[in-house]
Amino acid sequence: MKALQIAASGMAAQQMRVDVVSNNLANMSTTGYNARRAEFADLHYQQLARPGTVTSEDGSMMPTGIQLGLGVRPAAVSVVLAQGSLEQTGGDLDVAIEGSGYLEVSLPSGTSAYTRDGALKRSADGLIVTADGYEVAPGITIPDDARSVSISASGEVYAYFSDTVQPQLLGQMNLVGFTNAKGLEATGSNLFLESEASGPPLTGVAGEDGLGTLRQGYLEESSVDAVREVTELIKAQRGYELNSKVITAADQMLSTTAQVR
Amino acid sequence: MDATGYVTLTRQSGLMREMQAVANNIANISTTGFRREGVVFTEFVRALDDAPSLSMATASARHVDLGQAGLTSTGGTFDLAIQGEGFFALQTPEGERLTRAGSFTPSAEGELVNPDGDLLLDDGGAPLFVPPDAGPVAIAADGTLSAGGQPLGRVGVVQPTDPMSLRHDGGTLFSASETEPAEGATIHQGMLEESNVDPVAEVARMIEVQRAYELGQGFLDREDERLRGVLQTLGQ
Repeated sequence: MKALQIAASGMAAQQMRVDVVSNNLANMSTTGYNARRAEFADLHYQQLARPGTVTSEDGSMMPTGIQLGLGVRPAAVSVVLAQGSLEQTGGDLDVAIEGSGYLEVSLPSGTSAYTRDGALKRSADGLIVTADGYEVAPGITIPDDARSVSISASGEVYAYFSDTVQPQLLGQMNLVGFTNAKGLEATGSNLFLESEASGPPLTGVAGEDGLGTLRQGYLEESSVDAVREVTELIKAQRGYELNSKVITAADQMLSTTAQVR
Repeated sequence: MDATGYVTLTRQSGLMREMQAVANNIANISTTGFRREGVVFTEFVRALDDAPSLSMATASARHVDLGQAGLTSTGGTFDLAIQGEGFFALQTPEGERLTRAGSFTPSAEGELVNPDGDLLLDDGGAPLFVPPDAGPVAIAADGTLSAGGQPLGRVGVVQPTDPMSLRHDGGTLFSASETEPAEGATIHQGMLEESNVDPVAEVARMIEVQRAYELGQGFLDREDERLRGVLQTLGQ
C-alpha cells in the first residue's frame, strides 16, 4: 500500500512548512530578517507500464502508460529577498540598507560574514561593531572625544568634535553584493556566509553598482508579513489534515483486504 | 479462482493504483506548478476457451490534468508564473525538460536556475544569463528580461508538438519528444503557480475509491460464501 508512504511524505512536507512558518513568525521583530519559504517538488514516478508500450502486433502502443507518483520532497527553503520596512530609531550607529547589499563583518576566526542587521555599536576600543561585538569591515575607529558620528548615504563615516567645525572623515563603509544572495548560508545571529552557490562577494560602494544606499538613524525591520504567514500556516495545517485523511482511507482499504477470507 | 474472482481482482488492483494517484495528488497539494494526475480504467477483454469472452477492468492509462492553477504572489524578482498554456524549458543533465514551477534564482555564475540547479532556457534554447551587476531586473508579460532599460533576453515558453508525448518526471518536470513555442501564454513576474490539485475533488474521489474497494471486497466475500454453500450441498 504505497498510498500510506505517499501520504506520510505529504505530512512530512507540510510539517516542514509549519517549521519554516514558525521560524518566520518567531523572527517577526528580528532586525533585517528575511522571510523564508518552503518549496516542494514531486518525487520520482514509478513506471508500471512505460508510455509507448506496444500493445498489438500492428504496432499500436499505449499513449500514456501508467506512471504513479511516489509522493513529495522538499526542493528548497528559499529566502524572500524583499526589502523590509524602515523603522526610525534616531541612533547614531543604526544604519538601514535600502537596496540589495550586505554589510561585511569580520568574525573572530578571521573569515568574513555578511549581514543586513545595521544595529551597530561602539566597542570599548572605539571600533564600530555589530550587536555581537564583531568588527564591521573595514575597521573604523571612532575617536574617544568625538561628539557625534554621521554616516552618509554612500557609507562615509564622519566624526564631529566640539572644538572644530569641520567633521573628520573616519572611513568608508562598504556594501557587498552577491550574484545569488539566496544562496548565502545562514549561520544565525543575522549573519550569512559565502557559499559555493552564492558566488564570491562583490564589494562595492553604497549608491553605486546597484547595491543600495545606507540610511543612518533607521533600522530595517523583519520582512515577515504576518497575514501571509498565518495564511501559510492554515494552508499547511489543512494540507496536513488532508494527508492524514489519506492515511486513514488507505488503512481502511488495507484492513478490508486483511478481512478477506 | 473462477471468472468472478478475476473480474473483481482486476478492479481491486486498479482501485489500489487510483488510491496511490489520489495520495500523490494530495501529497503534492503545496508543490509549486504540480499537475494532478488521474488513472483511467478501461475494459479488458479476454477470450475464454469454452465460454463467451470475459470482460474485466484495468487501470491501464494515466491522465495528467494540465488545467491552470491559481497564482500566488511572492514578490520574488525571478518567481515566474505562466498564465495560459505552455511550459518553461529547462536544461537538465537528462536533456530538455518542461515545467510550470517558475521559482528561479540566479546561480553563482549568473545563470537562471530552478531549485534543483537546472538551467532556464530562453526562446532560442540557450541558458538565460543575468549579469551580477545588472541591477533590478524586470520581466515583461511576453517573457522579456530587462535591467535598466537594456533587454537581457527572453524566457522561452514552449509546448509539446505532440501532446500525447508528454511524460511526467519527478521534480515537477515533464519531458516531450519535440517542443514548439507556445502561443498566447503570458508571464507574471513575482508570482508562482500553485498546485492544481483541488482538495475537495480529491477527497471525494478518495472516499469513492475506498467505498468501491470495500464493495468489491464484500462481493468477493459473498462469492466465497456461495462457493462454500455449493460445496457443502454437494457434500451432503
